Amino acid sequence: MGKNILKIDYSAFNDLLTKLDELQGDLKPVVTDALEQAAETVEWDTKEAIAKSNMPAKGIYSQGDTQKSIVENARVTWSGSRAEIGLGFDFGKAGAGGFLITGTPRMKPDYALQKIYKKKKYMTDLQSDMAEIVNDAIADHIGG
Amino acid sequence: MEDNLVELLATFKYPVMRQGSIGANEEYPETFFTFWCNEETEHSAYDNETLNTDNSFDVNVYSTDPDTAYSLQRQARDLLKTNGWTITSRGYDVPSDEITHTGRGMEVVYLKNEEVNENG
Repeated sequence: MGKNILKIDYSAFNDLLTKLDELQGDLKPVVTDALEQAAETVEWDTKEAIAKSNMPAKGIYSQGDTQKSIVENARVTWSGSRAEIGLGFDFGKAGAGGFLITGTPRMKPDYALQKIYKKKKYMTDLQSDMAEIVNDAIADHIGG
Repeated sequence: MEDNLVELLATFKYPVMRQGSIGANEEYPETFFTFWCNEETEHSAYDNETLNTDNSFDVNVYSTDPDTAYSLQRQARDLLKTNGWTITSRGYDVPSDEITHTGRGMEVVYLKNEEVNENG
């Protein structure tokens, strides 16, 4: 799978995972759940952003291949203790919407996609959702 | 910080323009820079006064010569870093409207210390 633009900052998330680990909680299902929910959020937000009515040039850049290049139903793969998940656009596929995010010399970057892939707030909100999942797991574990 | 960015890129003596500003019927220059402001956000504040801001931009180089696109992007990266910009990316391909041109891009960030008005 081609490399996807969106980068998740795991730093705050990792602190909570350490706490869960110290409580001898099972990390893998919690991490899997958090990442897959984040990926689903990105999937649906990206689809909404490239909806025909939201795109420049009456959406001619957002049909067909671009729609198909969005990662759907993303699943975590584990390599030892390392979790990976593809999300957003799959740049290994033709028509992947990277150009909608970066723009071109003749086309400004798309505002809705920029909000997802370039703005801090979106990432902060995603991290907050992921942290909530881990916090719930910690609370469940403490509660027995 | 946009002025600072444009001023630095202009030292390479190629056109510098905002991403998306070339008209549909306008020819690409042979080699040029584009930039786009992703956002300016408050990095830190005290007593509700902004102390520092993060200024995030995309910077792209397009050229009919792929070697020029690659080397110019690296040179721009070095110059910006020397002038206080933070650039964690080494560069990536960016799409071009014209098949004649190769595009290389990078994201650049400047942490700007804003003056605090001590008189409130």
